[in-house]
Amino acid sequence: MPWVTILILIPLVTSLVLALVPARERRMGRGIALAGSLLALAASIVVLALFDRDLAVLQQVDHLDWIPTVGVSWDVGVDGISIWLVLLTTVIFTLGTVAACQRLPQQRGTAFLSLIMLAEAGLLGLFTAGDLILFYVFWEFMLIPFALLIWNWGGSDRRSAGLIFVAYTMVGSLLMLVAIVATGIIAMDHTGQLSFLMRDLTGVPYGEATATLLLAGFLLAFAIKIPLWPFHGWLPRVYSQAPIVVTILLAAVMSKAGVYGLLRVGVPLFPEGVGNLIIPVAILALVGIIYGSLLAWRAPTMRLLVGYSSVAHLGFIVLGIIVIDRMAAQGAVLQMVNHGIVAAAAFVVVMIIARGTGTEDIDRLGGLAKGAPRLAVAFLFVTMAALALPGSNAFVGEFFILGGVFDQYAWMAVIAMLGVIYAAVYMLRMYQTTMNGPPRGVQDQGRAAEMTGRDAIILVPLILMMVWIALWPGSLVTPTRASTDLAVAPAQIALERPVDQIGVLPDRAAAVPAAAVGSRAPERQP
Amino acid sequence: MNPGAALTLYVMSAATVLALVLAVVPLPATWRRLPEWVGFGGIVATLAIAVAQWGERQVGFSGELQIDRFSLLLTWIILPAALAVILFSWGEPAAAGRRPEFVGLVLAAATGMMLTVMSGDLITLFIGIELLSVSLYILCAIEVARERSLESGLKYLITGSIGTAILIYGFALLYGVAGTTSLSGITERLATVDGLASQPLLVAAIVLIVVALGFKASAVPFHMWTPDVYQGAPTPVTAFMGTGTKVAAMGAFLLVFTGATHQVSGDWRALIGALAVATMVVGNVGALAQQNVKRMLAWSSVAQAGYLLIGVAVGTMAGAAALTYYLFAYVAMTLAAFAIVILREREVEAGDTLVAFTGFGRARPWAGVVMTLALLSLAGFPPLAGFVGKFLLFGSAVDAGMSWLAIVGALASVVSVVYYLRVVIVMWSPRPEGTRPERRLRVPLSVASVAVAGAVAVVALAIWAQPLLDLCTDAARALMIP
Repeated sequence: MPWVTILILIPLVTSLVLALVPARERRMGRGIALAGSLLALAASIVVLALFDRDLAVLQQVDHLDWIPTVGVSWDVGVDGISIWLVLLTTVIFTLGTVAACQRLPQQRGTAFLSLIMLAEAGLLGLFTAGDLILFYVFWEFMLIPFALLIWNWGGSDRRSAGLIFVAYTMVGSLLMLVAIVATGIIAMDHTGQLSFLMRDLTGVPYGEATATLLLAGFLLAFAIKIPLWPFHGWLPRVYSQAPIVVTILLAAVMSKAGVYGLLRVGVPLFPEGVGNLIIPVAILALVGIIYGSLLAWRAPTMRLLVGYSSVAHLGFIVLGIIVIDRMAAQGAVLQMVNHGIVAAAAFVVVMIIARGTGTEDIDRLGGLAKGAPRLAVAFLFVTMAALALPGSNAFVGEFFILGGVFDQYAWMAVIAMLGVIYAAVYMLRMYQTTMNGPPRGVQDQGRAAEMTGRDAIILVPLILMMVWIALWPGSLVTPTRASTDLAVAPAQIALERPVDQIGVLPDRAAAVPAAAVGSRAPERQP
Repeated sequence: MNPGAALTLYVMSAATVLALVLAVVPLPATWRRLPEWVGFGGIVATLAIAVAQWGERQVGFSGELQIDRFSLLLTWIILPAALAVILFSWGEPAAAGRRPEFVGLVLAAATGMMLTVMSGDLITLFIGIELLSVSLYILCAIEVARERSLESGLKYLITGSIGTAILIYGFALLYGVAGTTSLSGITERLATVDGLASQPLLVAAIVLIVVALGFKASAVPFHMWTPDVYQGAPTPVTAFMGTGTKVAAMGAFLLVFTGATHQVSGDWRALIGALAVATMVVGNVGALAQQNVKRMLAWSSVAQAGYLLIGVAVGTMAGAAALTYYLFAYVAMTLAAFAIVILREREVEAGDTLVAFTGFGRARPWAGVVMTLALLSLAGFPPLAGFVGKFLLFGSAVDAGMSWLAIVGALASVVSVVYYLRVVIVMWSPRPEGTRPERRLRVPLSVASVAVAGAVAVVALAIWAQPLLDLCTDAARALMIP
């Protein structure tokens, strides 16, 4: 069974069905959306069950020619980097659908759900694409549903927020398209065939200058999507104007598109170009960590605080990828998942508080813990995870990243450490101001903000996942190891790193893809 | 000489004459739809012949007509566009008294477009362009009671005539260089005689032809007439100018440059490339400020001409194939967009303004979806046909070592997103509070069918891109191998 294709088609079909449901049939719309998201979750669990953790290359590949003349094909599969992001997508979208169904917008609720499903299809396609053109197709594909969600159901300033979101993203992505086309055509000189399959393009010797240019073309698109400082201009307005459910999805899942692209496409395809870009990108990431933390510290609303903290956290992930280190790369993948879960949980807390009190302004809230003790406990949990307290899931990820970074560039790790300290400052500020102290700006000691059973359906699974990862990080890290080793190995070789740091030797790295091309059922490598 | 080769032209001409005869014959009221049916039947029959003729090259009139895979494939685009125009004006209240003339002129213009792409000789090419231009001058001004329509026709006549004059001058100089008006003869001459490349006379001829065809294709800086003429003309005619004329002009570009003079492509590649860059930049920036959807689509058609010209500028077979594919996509998405504008125009006063589209998508979701698909495709969003076309065009540019064309094209596309999506946003946003409910007309089946067919084609052409691209590659091969 082509499970990966089925996985992408489920939300797509659900979305089309929802589009045909009349707007007044809200009950039916809810039912279809929930069923669709649960089916997608089930399909992703099947994919996980079939996943072979020892295989480094893309597995469970479904290949179908689309435009063979120009080497474009429908080619989807999973590897150690994408498998957890696929799971993250289906889990967060299931919870997001539940949250959306609980408070369906009064205006055309079924269309809202339909667009959420469309966005899920786009993200799943992005995380499984094995063909660069398909990667680009899904990269753009997910933009439209998110933009329409912001335009139609966002806050008072939704028009310009949506337009800024689209304009920023398009600038990067169309240059990425040019870079993709150039990659395919330049690679044709070396491989003799026009193909955009990532496995065909790995190991092509572009030469340092060309590889740097091509990687830079991709990097701009990734940097805007991540967002890497100074390309984060769209983030505050979009995060604060989008409906809160959409903000959850943007921060938890869509923000991983850029870092995923960097690790899955940028670094393995253009290893010769990485050397020139390590220091510039790392500096941007470090500035992002500090700057994002400072902005989060002074942010006026809870939503902006979590949004800016995302800039800092994603800076960590970028740093973990760009220093080209096995441990840091594993940490980066783990941290992508961690940040997805923690950011989702933090925004859910914001959603609950905003609903109960009618405001997201940090300075207008206070003492909610008295009236909402259950929420306070959950919030404290999320806070601890967000500031990467030892014993929390984010601690493991940041430890991996900082350990790897320290091995390669100790000074970067020292600067990045500041981000960990700042995280404590801004997260505790948010928690203390809103939860402790005398009640402020709320009636009834904030009882209205208490977590209800319906909220718990969304928040508790997220907290359970945090506990799971904190107690047993190996269950996440081990399956990613083979793929992350393979992703950074060419760049390690190009950088002439010591052999003992390299996980996969070049001859093996070259031999593996050839054996796995076109194989539907993955065969275990000897 | 094969008398059957030009059968498509005979049938079209016969339908044209028949439609025009109906203008002078008094028709009983029950037969008032007869002109449309004549147009409909003529086009469908011609299309059937054009599909049946697909195959090796047939030559008509000792080489003046080349009925090959290239000309037939472009005919497959021109005829559906003409059919769409007939359907757009089916039972339209405007110009009701001049229905036979309208249909006859649309058929005549379509014949001119077909003649243009089928021509194997500079003279036939010129006659084809003239036939389509003169028919369109009249069509623009056919709503004689409306001042804007007259203005549109007059402006088009003046600028078009200048273009024609320059074109014939360029052809004359080209004849001076090659000593023949036959396109294959020119190719042969350029291939066999050394030292013709970069000769002043040849360069002058090339420049003049580029300028003249630039007028027809509304390429910058010869585009000034486009917004006014498009806005003033009756919308079905505008749709025809935006699609059919563009196909014919691009066909002429391909015949003269990629086809006949490809040996001296060094003389014109940079020139047409510069034209493409200017057209993409100015067209997209010009569209940004438009508050009228018809005018916006006019500027967008200028911008799209820029993308199309990339396929000429590269001068390769891949470029010609990509251009042909993009023409299919372009015509489908443009017709779908115009169909929605026509629907809106009939429903409300000043229905072509951006404001009039507020909430249209909410009122008629299917029309909103069609328009959204058409505009997203025009903006080049994947996985729609417009994206595949742009991908092929940009790919041909990178392949030909003209990556700068692809980069400008990509940046220009970013700009285009703003004005295309603005219409989408407006269409799906709620109507302002307190506006009174507007009248809703029954949607005419003829217009709706074009809209839906266009939207379906936008998706289908992307999914089945490979079969179509195979046809386009065949066409490009027929173009370049005499």
